Formats: sequence, structure tokens, C-alpha cells
Amino acid sequence: MKYPYYPGCTLYSKAKNLDRCARKAAALLDVELEELPSWNCCGAIYNTNIDDLAAQVGPVRNLAKASQLGEKLVTLCAACYNVLKRAGGHLNATGFEEERKRILEFVDERYERDVRVMHYLEVLKEVGFEKIKQRVKKPLNGLKVASYYGCLMTRPKEVLQFDDPENPIMMDDLMATLGAEPVRFDFKAECCGGYLVVNRRDVAQACSMRIIENAKTWGAEAVVTTCPLCQYNLESAQSAKLPADKRMAILYFTQVLGLALGLGEDELGFEDNKLDPKPFLKEKGLL
Amino acid sequence: MRKRIGIFVCHCGINIAGVVKVPELVARVKAIPDVVSALDYVYCCSDPGQKLIKETIKEKKLDGVVVACCSPSLHETTFRKAASEAGLNPYLCEIANIREQCSWVTSDRDEATEKAEGIVRTIVAKVREDQALERLKVPMLKRALVVGAGIAGIQAALDIANAGYEVVLVEKEPSIGGHMAQLSETFPTLDCSQCILTPKTVEAGHHPKIKLLTYAEVAEVSGFIGNFRVKIRQKPRYVDIDACTGCGICLEKCPVRVDSGFDRNLTKRRAIYRLFPQAVPNKVVIDAKNCRQLQGKKCGVCARVCPAQAIRYEDKERFLDEEVGAIVLATGYELFDISKVGSYGFGQVPDVIDGLGFERILSASGPFAGEVRRPSDGRVPKRVVFVQCAGSRDANQGVPYCSKICCMYTAKHALLYKHRVHDGEAIICYIDVRTPGKGFEEFYRRVTDEGVKYLRGKVSKIFRRNDKVVVWAADTLAGKKIEIEADMVVLATAVVPNPRGVELARKLKIAVDANGFQTEAHPKLRPVETLTAGFFLAGCGQGPKDIPETVAQASGAAAKVLAMFGTSELYHEPVIAEVDEEICVGCGNCERTCAYEAVKVDKRKGKAMVQAVMCEGCGACSVSCPAGAINLKNFVKKALMEMVDA
Amino acid sequence: MNSTGNSDLVRRIEELSGQRLQDCYQCGCCSAGCPIGEMMEPPPSKGVRLLQLGLAEELLASDGIWLCASCLICGTRCPRNVDYARIAEACRAIVLRTKKSQVDPDKVSESDLQDVPQQAFIASFRKFSV
Repeated sequence: MKYPYYPGCTLYSKAKNLDRCARKAAALLDVELEELPSWNCCGAIYNTNIDDLAAQVGPVRNLAKASQLGEKLVTLCAACYNVLKRAGGHLNATGFEEERKRILEFVDERYERDVRVMHYLEVLKEVGFEKIKQRVKKPLNGLKVASYYGCLMTRPKEVLQFDDPENPIMMDDLMATLGAEPVRFDFKAECCGGYLVVNRRDVAQACSMRIIENAKTWGAEAVVTTCPLCQYNLESAQSAKLPADKRMAILYFTQVLGLALGLGEDELGFEDNKLDPKPFLKEKGLL
Repeated sequence: MRKRIGIFVCHCGINIAGVVKVPELVARVKAIPDVVSALDYVYCCSDPGQKLIKETIKEKKLDGVVVACCSPSLHETTFRKAASEAGLNPYLCEIANIREQCSWVTSDRDEATEKAEGIVRTIVAKVREDQALERLKVPMLKRALVVGAGIAGIQAALDIANAGYEVVLVEKEPSIGGHMAQLSETFPTLDCSQCILTPKTVEAGHHPKIKLLTYAEVAEVSGFIGNFRVKIRQKPRYVDIDACTGCGICLEKCPVRVDSGFDRNLTKRRAIYRLFPQAVPNKVVIDAKNCRQLQGKKCGVCARVCPAQAIRYEDKERFLDEEVGAIVLATGYELFDISKVGSYGFGQVPDVIDGLGFERILSASGPFAGEVRRPSDGRVPKRVVFVQCAGSRDANQGVPYCSKICCMYTAKHALLYKHRVHDGEAIICYIDVRTPGKGFEEFYRRVTDEGVKYLRGKVSKIFRRNDKVVVWAADTLAGKKIEIEADMVVLATAVVPNPRGVELARKLKIAVDANGFQTEAHPKLRPVETLTAGFFLAGCGQGPKDIPETVAQASGAAAKVLAMFGTSELYHEPVIAEVDEEICVGCGNCERTCAYEAVKVDKRKGKAMVQAVMCEGCGACSVSCPAGAINLKNFVKKALMEMVDA
Repeated sequence: MNSTGNSDLVRRIEELSGQRLQDCYQCGCCSAGCPIGEMMEPPPSKGVRLLQLGLAEELLASDGIWLCASCLICGTRCPRNVDYARIAEACRAIVLRTKKSQVDPDKVSESDLQDVPQQAFIASFRKFSV
């Protein structure tokens, strides 16, 4: 199965390790991720002011490109997912016809059709968790993982329609499929602080630490993320606030997927994680 | 054909006279053929007004009357009664609505006067063709059915039974008392709920005129007011109710443990159980789904230990038929499923319970015998947060309305908590505090005087931190977000109508509003009746309310039933459908159209037959008849055509 | 109190955000649930109150509107379906369009540039600078 793929800026550079292992894991599931030709930045965050049309052009251009290739567009980053899907939805909003025309004037590519923006997790759901279970080579030994979705994956609920906005379970189900023990906790879809890390690091750290502490309260051994920024925030907050022996491993969900599907240690990109999870994983007998 | 029609034009103060030029109108309508009198008066509905009409009927020997005034829904009955008292058949008195349909909606005076004349002409044309009609007498069975035996149903049943009429009281649970039986103390007096309830449940259980059917549900109702046929499904108890002595030995020996719904899942009960020790009837019942024996796995312990040999594993569902004349719906409420509001953690975060759950903890027959302890570890909570509006007033995730009772019961909860845990801290998070009843504001004052803290802000999130429960609240008065670390949280969850009650109402075609509450006939003036003749409402099935209001409404519904039973006959309006059998071909269109199931094609005769007492005179059948064979009395086609031409 | 003061600004904020300020019944749930709530002054419900009272300038001059992470919890839980994130965004737009940036790309440290995912920079500059 081929899916047009949108990596986004961070996964293309600083988090390249996560992208690489995602593609390899996909291949093991007979999924080919076909990168969108000359894609541009989606904008990293969605702007809501009704007259802010310039901000819509970037994401819409990507959707137009994707519409040339098919009906779907897959992204690996929750932030890109949020921006692209909302931009696409807004184009069709009632009363927005004039604005839609103006935005499309700045997009060279023809907007062939509406594209369904999907997060890689939804692709896995389409592949079928049963099928994935059959391909698992290294079940995760009941590793207690807290699935952290972040705020951008599930909200706004009317547009994204990705699972329950307060208590999503898709990734939890995936973790169970891979042999881990999903741990229910209270901060699954609460904000890690996001872009506030740039100018108000203290605020972002407070948000991230709350998530970590709550995951610990419920008995999680590791946290699994779906967005490179959440990954960074949860890791760096712990580096700043906790001594090394008290820090929890933060794993990107495709790294966990790749691990369970049998990718080699060198293919999973753990060395580029801010907090090296390898000692922890070795201790758990998973590496 | 009427030849001596009298017209009375009402001024209705300035409502009509301020727009319609009344003297001119009177002059014009006097000239209509067959009209022998045209008068006007300031307020025709008043005593002098009605006297004028009666005298004119006698003096001028009128054989038809048109009153040009307000809407018939207001005074048609008044004027028809006056006509009747003057010796004129009431159905020869018609209303020409020149207020709601003319003076209230037209601004130009000449236009209004012309329109009023048109309306009067139309009604004169109708009266010309009208027949004198007599009200239909309906036989009435003076026996009532009360659905639901919570405090509302019990009160209604007692009131009707004490007046000497037989009542069938049906309750779906194995014993009566409803939610009031779950409560510990009631506001604002802090009476023990069971203590004030038990005298009533015992009286209802033993009353010679009350036929109590517990663990039973109404399956079907057919018929009409005065003549209902009710099919009741008696669920299998698997216990012989006459043999069982309520000794309780089986309760100790049953090996199965199941969450107790009565205790809001805070304790376990057995598969054979009774709801609470003072249950009426004091008999046990077997929960078939959880009983090993009934699920095919060998057990049989209860049958072996029962000294009265009352266990009946072979028991089956039975259907009973009852005939009654009036039905009171007292189906009550349930609590909103607050687990739908994921951010509150109900059902996931330990020690987050709902209002009824806290009642059970406070109750002497509850999980901790009346000691306030928290469910997770049995420790005494030193700080409890009470969350108001959990699901209420929330168009987004809950119900849009206010559940009315929570402000008061939360104040009560906090007070009782402080009484039992002297060094405990009670914090109530609220949006508004609503204390509309007698003694309520004073109670709220007492609660705050005794140290209960109120924080104005709706709680957003509840989560776990080690062995504590953290609440994210706010104080909008100080303008701050507040984080509270508590030992236990009580959610004052929204009140929703009992889903079985909603289902039943829909099946019986009783109007139900968008929130599922049964709709009263008029929100202000007819709170205990429905628009379906013979059905009355009592209790929370009609809308959230507290115990005093429930009891008042139940007695009100009983009064309506007794008013019905107190007359010797029931009357039905005679403006109903009539079939001309010579024209009728039995096509069945009318049967398919009728919303009241009042007309059916008689298979043998091949003609439509109208069940007079069920016909509500809506006229839909006469529209649907391709042959024009079915018509409404006094609304026949000829009259209608004349009215249009007038 | 000059309650009619600056209703033009309030109207502009309503227009840009697409929110009906009169719908808010000041329950405080948004402030209670905001992950930044303790550090944000005014917190969301107070921000809306200021606008309801016509005191738009006070909100526009505040620090609070620059602490919103756009996590959308406020709007998701609001019993009246009012989205404060969009109101804060509208306020920020009005200030930013007077050329008053709140973050300066030149002030980002070298180590941060190396470390922090670029999506954070893009998002931050989008929200807080012009």
C-alpha cells in the first residue's frame, strides 16, 4: 500500500532518526511512504483569526500537491497533522468561499480534490492491529507504557475526529498489540507546553513535568509520544528538573513499533534521542 | 339551517377595540342574512357580558350565536356554557377570533375592520350549517394504575387508595422506595430519609386498596381514558413471594459477589439479594444473569439453605392483564453517566464518586455503616472536594438544563461530612448556589457558618497524584486558577429522566421533551396532566425536583384522578368524525392517517368505523378520504365551502 | 466604570475570533483547566470578563495572552462552547499588527538553535512575532 507522505521540517532534520525508523517499520508492514515532491513547511501551528489567509497558503499548497497523488496524505508529526487537517477542513467552511478562492490563487498546483489527512497511527489502524500483531518479532514483555498523544492530535474534536479528545485509546491499543501493557493515566491529551519552550521555558517545563509525574503515579515505566516537539519537551524538562536515575524513558511511537517488528538497534535511532533510552531498554530485556 | 343568529362583538378592553372599529363592524355584520341581532360589549367574558348574551338569546329567540372575540382556546367553553344556560345547544355557539387572528396582528384600522368582518361572516356561515350536538358519555372504570413506586408513585397511590379506589402500583425494582431509599438525610431538615419514607412504604405495601406489583414493568397499554387495558410483565423473581419470610439466610450463603447498584458499586451484594434491610416487600430476588445455578453452572446453595423452601429456579416471566381508568406516570430519574466527561476521571481515578454514592457512604446501611471513609483504602478523608454542576448546565458535554437539587444536596453533604469528620475540610466548587425553597437559603447560611468553603468556579479536571485526588478548580471572584489536593471528590451529577420511563412514554405516545422529560399539558397551569387524556405525571420523570415538590405534584396528580373518578360519567367532545357508509369504500386511508387509532376499517362490513371516544376531532381523516365519506361533525364540506365563500 | 469604552475593539476581537462573548456565563472552567492557568494573568475567564465589561485595552496590554499554548482545552470543555484560545489569538493579532513583537529570533541562543526542534521556533514566531 502506497501513501503520500509529509514528513514536516523537524522530522526531516533534527528528528531524522524518527523518520528513518518510521519508514523502515512501515516497510515491514507492506506500507510504502511516498514523500510529497517539494513540499513546504506547514506552519507548525494553526492560526485561527478569520482574516489570516496568508497562514493558510502553506498548508493548502501541500494539500494541493497531495491531491495530485491521491486522496490521502500521511504525516508522522501530530503538529503537522493538526495544521494540515484543519487547513483542509477550513477550506470547505460555509461562508468561506471568497477566502478559499483567494487562498488558491496563491497556490500554483491545482487543488484536485479534498485530501484525507492521516496520522501514521491511523495508517497502522488501516493496516489492522491484528495483522501487526502477527508481524511482531519481539513482543515488548509487558513493558508498562503511558501513551501520550499531546494536545494537537485530538483537538479540535469536530475537525480532527481522531478518537476521544480527553481519553483517546488508539495508541494504547497499538501498544497492547505490540506486547506492551498500556497504562491508563490522566494527562494523555494535555499540553506539554509546546512552542512556549522557546521564550517561556519555565512554563513548558512545568507542563511537561506534570505529565511525567502523572504517568509515574499510574505506574508507567516509559512514555510513548507522537510528536517530535512533545518528545523534546518531555525529555528536556526531565534533564533540567530530575537527576539521571529518576528520569523516565521517552520513546517515539515508531521507535517502539520498529523495535517490536524486529528492526535492528542501529535502525531505531535511539542514539539521537535527547535522553538515551538504551540502558533502560536493555534493562528490560528489549535490546 | 339557522335563521336567527346573534352576533356579539367583544371590545376586549382595547385589545380589539383599539384596532378594529367596533361600531362600524357591528353595523356591517348586522346586515348579514339570517342575523337578527348584533351587539357589542367591553368584556364579553365577564359576568355582565355573559348575562347580556344569555338575555339576548332568550329575548330574541336566537338559534345560533357568534361571539367575535379572542381565541376559542381561551373562552369557547365559557360562552358555550353561557349559551347552554340560556337554553341554546352549546355547539350552536361559535367563536370568531378577531383578536389573535386580526387585531393583534394588523396595524391599519380599516384593514383590521374589514378583516374582522370577513372572519365574522365566515363563522356565521359555519353556524348556519351547524347541527345541535350532545356530548358523548364515556363509561369509566374507577381504578388507577401508578407506574413507578418511588416517593412520587407511593404518594399518588396512597392518595387515590385512601379515597376508596383501587390502585395497581407497578415497580420495576424488587422493592419500593426509589432513590429516596438510598438517601441518608434529606435537606433542609436533615430528617433520616428511611425514617420518613418507611411509614409510607409500609402503608403502601399493606393498603387493602393497593395492588402492589414489584419487579414488574408495564409492557403495553391500549384503550382510552376510563378504559385502559394494561399488560404488565412480571419478571421472574425465582422466589415464591408468599413463602419467603425475608429471614436472609440465603444472603449469607450465596457464593457470588456482584457490584451493588443500590450502593453505586461501592459494595458487593450476592446474586440473591434484597435492596436494603427495610425493603418493602421484604422478600429476596435472584439476579439471573449473575446466578451460577441459573446460568447453567451447578450451585443451588440458596435452595438448600432456605428454611421456607421458597426458591423457584423454574420461575418464568409472566404477563398480567389489568384494566384501569386512569394512569399516573411516576417513573423518576437516574444520574447522568458522568464517565462521559472524561476530564472528571469518574470510574478511573480512585475516590471520585457521585452524589448518590456519597449518600450511601453517609447511610447507616451503606459501605461503611455511616462512617465517612474513602472507597479505595477505607481511610477517613480529611479534605473532600464537592464538585457542583457535573454534567448540568453544559450544552457541550452534558445536559443543558439545571438539575435543581444539587446545590442543596451538596450543601447538605458538606455539612454532614463536617459533622462526622470534625477536623475535615469541605470545599464546594460551584458556579451559582440555587436555594429556592422554604428554609433553603437559611440552610445554606448555616452550612457556610459551620465552616464549609465555597469556591466559585466550575471544575475542569480531576486526576490522581499518588494517593491523593487533585482537582483543578478556579475562583472567578478572585480571578485565579486553584489546584486542590484532596482525599476524595464527590461529583454532584446531573439528573436525567429514567431511561425506562422515557422508553415507556415513547411507547405510549406521551409527549417527551428534547431532554427526555415527560411533557406536561401546560408549563404553568397544568403541571400534572399530559395532553393524552387519562395520563397524569408525578415526580422527576417530568423534570428534576426535590422531595417536597415531588410529593406535592404526586398529590396533585392524584387529585386529578380523583376529580375524574368523582364524576359519575366522563364526557367526550362530540365534534368527531362520522362515516357516511354509503360513500365509504373501505380503502383504509383514514385508518392509516389517524394518529389516535380512532378509526379502523371493519373487515366484515368493508366500511370505516369510528371509535367515538378515541377520536380527538383533528380532521386529518376527512382530508385523506378520496371519496369524502368521512367528515367531522359541524365541519362538513358544505359548511367549509360556505365559510370560504363568505 | 466606562462600560461602553472601546466596544469597537471588543467587536473587532469578536469578529476575528468568531466567538460570542455574551455566551460566556463566567463559570471559570477554562481557567481551571488551562495548563498555564496559574501563570496566566488574566486567566481565560477573567480575560473574557474584561471584554464583556468593555475593558479590551486592559486585556490587550496583559501578559496572559502571550502565554497561551493553543492547546484548546478551554474550548473543548467550555459548557457554552466559547473558545478562549481564539479570543486570545485575536487579541495577539491586534497587538502584533501594531508591529509589537513579543519574541525576537535574534535573541535565541546558539545552543537552543541546535537543540530545540525547529517546529517550535516556527510556531513561536508565528504566534508571538510579526
